[in-house]
Amino acid sequence: MIRELTSFFISIYAIIYIYQLSLLASGDFSSYDLFVRNPATIGFSIIALFFTLYHAVTWFSLMGRIQVVKLGPKKTATPLQAIAINLLLLLIVSYAIVYLFILR
Amino acid sequence: MKKEYKSDKLHALLWGVFSVGGFIAAFLLPVLIYIDNIAYPLGLWPVANSSLIKIVFMVSLFSTIFVFITIGGSLFHGIFRFKTTLPELGLKRASSLISAVGYIIIAAGLIALAYYLFQLYHGFDPSLFHRII
Repeated sequence: MIRELTSFFISIYAIIYIYQLSLLASGDFSSYDLFVRNPATIGFSIIALFFTLYHAVTWFSLMGRIQVVKLGPKKTATPLQAIAINLLLLLIVSYAIVYLFILR
Repeated sequence: MKKEYKSDKLHALLWGVFSVGGFIAAFLLPVLIYIDNIAYPLGLWPVANSSLIKIVFMVSLFSTIFVFITIGGSLFHGIFRFKTTLPELGLKRASSLISAVGYIIIAAGLIALAYYLFQLYHGFDPSLFHRII
């Protein structure tokens, strides 16, 4: 059930993000700033991040069950292997995005 | 028979997009939430000394496409899953209405997202951003 609940937070966050873009597009940057710095927005974002990460873990576990990978004579039998590899991939992808769009 | 095949094809396509949205929400959404709504307002790494243009990913066409794919895919995945879950929670009689409302939210969200990103990408004045930093 918690897995289904993650979709609620993902949807609401996406709608809030579109609202943030509308504030930027209207040229009202101080409203944008005020909105993102609002403690309620920050609090919701932290909860949304937690549920998104929970979604990621359950999604990776599902991948491990659906797509069993053969490594020589062995097979990735437990979803734990899929979760570990994909979490590592998530870290690499996240850092690549930060590097490409922020640090570079 | 042909009509049934077409409906099945559409059904498979929608579940396919749902699945892609699941990957996008798992791999790309966490970093977007962290940068735009946690690190920026709290002044944390990696955006502590960055310009707001970079923080809201309005750097290039590539980053605009990144925001569209991430938010659009996550919106589709989230609403699609939510609309599929609600009938299982005892709202089976209203499932067609829930489906219709879900698709309307997805369509309106994607149109609004594309519209605002297009507006920001074309009519962008970076000097306005620097004024509030």
